[in-house]
Amino acid sequence: MARRAPAVAVGVGTLALPPLLSGSHLTVYILLGLAVMVTVGLSLLMGYAGQVSLGQASFYAIGGYTAGLLSVHSLPPVLGLLAAPLVSAAFAVVVGIPLLRLRGHHLAFATLAMQLILLSLVARADWAGGAIGLQGIPRLSVGGYEFADDISYAYLVWAAVVLTLLVARNIVASRPGRGLRALASGETAAAASGVPVGRYRLAVFALSAAFAGLAGGIYAFYLGYLAPGSFPVLLSIEYVVMAVVGGLGTLWGALVGATAIILLVQVLNTLGTQPGMPGYAPSVLSYAVYAVLLVLVVIFLPHGIVPAVRARLTRRASSGAV
Amino acid sequence: MREFLQYLITGVGSGCVFALVGSGLVVVHRVTRVVNFAQGSFAVIAAMTASTLLASGLPHGLAEASAVAVGAGAGLLVGLVAIGRPGTPPGASLIITLGLAVFAYAVEVLIWGDQPRSFAGVPGAVEFGGVRFQAHYLLIIGATAVVFAGTAALFARTDIGRALSACASNPYAARVVGIDIVRMGLLSFGIGGALGGLAGVLVTPIQLVTFDYDVTLIVGGFAAAVFGGLMRPLHTLVGGLLLGVAQSFVAGYGNAAYQMEVALVLLLAVMMRQAARAPAAEQEPA
Repeated sequence: MARRAPAVAVGVGTLALPPLLSGSHLTVYILLGLAVMVTVGLSLLMGYAGQVSLGQASFYAIGGYTAGLLSVHSLPPVLGLLAAPLVSAAFAVVVGIPLLRLRGHHLAFATLAMQLILLSLVARADWAGGAIGLQGIPRLSVGGYEFADDISYAYLVWAAVVLTLLVARNIVASRPGRGLRALASGETAAAASGVPVGRYRLAVFALSAAFAGLAGGIYAFYLGYLAPGSFPVLLSIEYVVMAVVGGLGTLWGALVGATAIILLVQVLNTLGTQPGMPGYAPSVLSYAVYAVLLVLVVIFLPHGIVPAVRARLTRRASSGAV
Repeated sequence: MREFLQYLITGVGSGCVFALVGSGLVVVHRVTRVVNFAQGSFAVIAAMTASTLLASGLPHGLAEASAVAVGAGAGLLVGLVAIGRPGTPPGASLIITLGLAVFAYAVEVLIWGDQPRSFAGVPGAVEFGGVRFQAHYLLIIGATAVVFAGTAALFARTDIGRALSACASNPYAARVVGIDIVRMGLLSFGIGGALGGLAGVLVTPIQLVTFDYDVTLIVGGFAAAVFGGLMRPLHTLVGGLLLGVAQSFVAGYGNAAYQMEVALVLLLAVMMRQAARAPAAEQEPA
């Protein structure tokens, strides 16, 4: 029970937060939750399957466009939201079968290429709004209830984050999860012990895509507008930064990494838009933050913040016991 | 026929640029096993530096040369961060160079803003086989030929080149015979920076350069370098030229909007083919 205490505290704390937040802070809360969902998937992918994906935002985009297109064509929005993770995962399976033969930097560039191709196709697809974007996406409604105000989206995101974390946690704790951990520490050894390496890698890839797709679906309903420009390559890199900074392969790491980066960038954004600051200040500051954090963490805390803190706590606890 | 020649020349021109960026990747990867994601940034930094120096009145030639030197300096700095701390695995270095590429955005926007830049190249046009094209293409092609010949000679005929190659084939043995592999690694980053810088300086007169143009360059350069397994400069040149010409033909005879896809699909196809030939266990770990 004591081990669950932090999780329960964070869960209750974040649940109580939305009514206390003002408009712009609520937006940060919602976008933060969406980023956590994508990062959890990416963290599993990078931490367990050992795959760097520089195209994670493409699954976010596919989820968004799936939800957006279905509901623009007057299907019930909830159907769009349910379809978003499924379509993203299906896309990941189709793309992953050839791509996941690649390793390391080859895969990194392949996923980057996948996103660039997708963005350029979407920008030219008139049925998806083209470069101008897809407009007039209705608000999400389930049954008779319409998610009209920001607070309702905040709770929707909260629930989606909890769902994502629970699914991820149960998968990590399951038999396939143990196989994945074996895969992370040594692919050849895992394969020799009977872990179906290829299938598991594909499954994690699809799972991470499903998480990103669900987040993208919520994003579409929340903003009501999607454009290829909302999903730049830099967004994919941001997710990598969040996953790496927090700690790969740990759920807490994804949570901490995404929260730290989003809040930090938000603070700097506020700072950068102060009167007297030059117009380029916000973008310069956020680029610098992503870069400096990523580089410092990779060099000095190669396993990420959460594992480093955890190791220190364990050390202190054990030295205290002696 | 005239169109064909026209597309061929522009294709070779942009192919040379990809080949230069790719050869920078190859030099760094050969020596350090790091895939330097910041390779495209050197080109952008050099291009922007050259445009500023030219605008401030420095003559052509001197401005471009200083810009290439700045590219080399940037390469050295990236190398210091990426491999300066002993024991950083090449996989982590990929993430570090990715971070540094984003850092370069911050520096570039801070110094030069986010508007595209360009400057004039070699003035005038040349006529060849009934086709007129910018004389600047001749400079691109000539400079690339000289650089590739020079790099080949450097690796094959000089002591430094042999030391670099020794680090590439067996770092442990290289250390045993007294080669400082970290210094050689930094040197390779410096050379990579200069090659990237040269690519940037050469491409700016035919192509507007924005701060995020590095993505196009790194993808094209990586596609070129993958032809040679990220190890062989000559294959990289061939790969870059093929890529440039393919893009130019697709743009000329088909649809200009699909240029980028050509590079990407070619890149994916080459990597798939290589992966199919080499069993997974023999490939580098992540």
